Amino acid sequence: MNKILLFFITILFSLNAYAVTNVTFWHMEGVPHRVDRIQTLIDEFNSANPDINVTQEVQNWGEIYAKAPASVAAGTAPEILVGIPDFTPILADMGAAQPVEDFVAELDSKYGFYQKALDQYTYNGHTWAVPLWNMGLSLWYRKSDFEAAGIEPPKTWSDLKKAAKALTKDGVYGIGLPGNKQLYTDQTIYSFMVNSGAEEIYNSDGTLRFDNPQTVAAYDVYKELYQYSAPDAANWTWGEAEACFASKGCAMILQFTVISTYDSQAGGDASDLGVIQIPHANGKAHRAGTVSYVNSAMIMTADEAKMEASKKFLSFLMEPGNYGRFINMEPGLFLPITEAGSKDSTYWDDPVVVKYKSQVETMLDNSTRGSLFGFTNGNTFTSISSISAQNLLAQTLQLTLIDGKSAKDAVSEGMEIMTEAIE
Amino acid sequence: MISVKKNNIEGWLFVSPLVIWISLIILVPIYIAFELSLFNVKIIGTSGKFVGIDNYIKLFGKSKFLNASLNSFYWIIGNAICQTFFAFTIALTINYKFPGKKIMANWIILSFIIPTVVVVVIWKLMLSSSSGVINSVLIDIGLLDEATGFFSSPNKAFISLVLINSWRWSPFLALIILSGLNSINREMYDASKVDGANFVQQFLFITFPNLKSVLFVLGLVGTLLSFNIFDIIWLITKGGPSSATTTLPLLIYETAFTKFRISQAATLSIVTSFLLLLFSIIFIKSMAPKEDD
Repeated sequence: MNKILLFFITILFSLNAYAVTNVTFWHMEGVPHRVDRIQTLIDEFNSANPDINVTQEVQNWGEIYAKAPASVAAGTAPEILVGIPDFTPILADMGAAQPVEDFVAELDSKYGFYQKALDQYTYNGHTWAVPLWNMGLSLWYRKSDFEAAGIEPPKTWSDLKKAAKALTKDGVYGIGLPGNKQLYTDQTIYSFMVNSGAEEIYNSDGTLRFDNPQTVAAYDVYKELYQYSAPDAANWTWGEAEACFASKGCAMILQFTVISTYDSQAGGDASDLGVIQIPHANGKAHRAGTVSYVNSAMIMTADEAKMEASKKFLSFLMEPGNYGRFINMEPGLFLPITEAGSKDSTYWDDPVVVKYKSQVETMLDNSTRGSLFGFTNGNTFTSISSISAQNLLAQTLQLTLIDGKSAKDAVSEGMEIMTEAIE
Repeated sequence: MISVKKNNIEGWLFVSPLVIWISLIILVPIYIAFELSLFNVKIIGTSGKFVGIDNYIKLFGKSKFLNASLNSFYWIIGNAICQTFFAFTIALTINYKFPGKKIMANWIILSFIIPTVVVVVIWKLMLSSSSGVINSVLIDIGLLDEATGFFSSPNKAFISLVLINSWRWSPFLALIILSGLNSINREMYDASKVDGANFVQQFLFITFPNLKSVLFVLGLVGTLLSFNIFDIIWLITKGGPSSATTTLPLLIYETAFTKFRISQAATLSIVTSFLLLLFSIIFIKSMAPKEDD
């Protein structure tokens, strides 16, 4: 009898020893080569950690805002969810995203996060996600176009207006700016707001401060520049702008990167590709900045074993040697958010990064001055999700671009719409 | 008498699984939506406070609801006009014998077969102002001086969407009309020819009256289908520019999944369902072909 009991106890312990902790990793990087790169890293991690099994599930940016809360409600949420800052407050509010300040501090001591990266996820006394990579908007152009027009790359809004006007000729649009009610438009208009000193959406008490002269100035200059954009820009997302630039239909565009399409579809002459900081309002050089999105990983499980397994996987991704390969799943788009990561040879050794090194360095430099609406100076409130998910910055822009209202009236009405949205 | 009763019971027994199934898949979701509409739940899966009929009262005062209702109304009318025109043109053309008729019949149905997302990509490329073929053609034939943005202004975006949607659905409607045309006795046309009737007279006094049943079904189902179109609008304009193409289905989706106001979306769904039910009853009562027609 004792032998039988001993046998079963041994079996139980053996099973426990071989118990595998499953971690599901949701992300929205559905381009095949990005999926392949992530899978390579997952395979390496899984073989080095037989007690953990990480699987990736690719989601869609268009659906994730609806799908993630629904998955939490249904009890089928993943253990790790990649997201952007304006997505985190909803899941933190639902109690799904777990505070990770201790884990982030541990990673910070090893790899040194850029402070701006942490800012976008630190509020209400906690850090809600582990920053993974950064993306910052820059102004892209062809150097030869500027030389032919006899003008210098713009530094101020006046320069930018002059350049857009001078470059609009022979069927080419001087600048490609979107007017769609969509995230890309939120990003472009906000990058103008940053450069006029209107980066703060909230006051410290949670009330809105969107309606102010700096915001009006940003909307006003955008409206002026929009006349030099393509007629169908009211329907553009990132892809159309990039295609317009690649086909030489647009002389300048605001974009996170154009390297991939420029390299594969537009000849790929690295010496002719120009990238600069987005121009600032006249006399506001000290305000120069851009919109930046720090993508991050939220840990969505309170189960101790799964949480530990998730942290172990994220630590693996952040490790130099792995990190460069991880963010180079799309070379020239995703930028490092740690000191160690920005020196990781596996990042700088990628052939695309080598070819466009000066552009990548400029992008990296720009991104360190990046801000994100609703996530500035600790003035972050859950209601920002309502503003960003509904693209209310872009909706306000349409009031002036499409409905023909003055920038002042549009911003005033936009403030009312936002106030109603956050109630 | 006993036999009739027995037949009735048997009849009910036979149809009861279907009745129960339909009741479950229709009534249960409607009940859940109605219950949600009485609360102020914001995000799916979270709880909310009971607010009674507040959501309904607020809804009718909202310009977004009125704007979306109007857009839905114009959307149905625009699609009805365009699709009826295109579908009749296609069906009447195919109804005549000519070389290549079979190839044409198969070819036109392609627009209905290909996935919506492909339709969207094709049309977005063709209507692009920087590289679209339609702008080039319109400039070449002198109708435009410079490229235009087909989705850049509210009216142009709305009309473009109606035409794209009609292009997609008209062949399907044409096939249904064609089946109706095939059931009309050819001798009636031959006799009318002998009497000296022209094409228009044949259409008005033979074709159209004989298609009443088909047109009734198309009118009802087509309207409901048009009303519920979401994918083409969402994928092309997302309801813009400036909410000009936001119909009620889009507003419901936006309210639920971008505004995160599930209860308000449920309220909109209940009101919309009621409006569609009302339309269906009125349409059936007033347009259903009579026995003597």
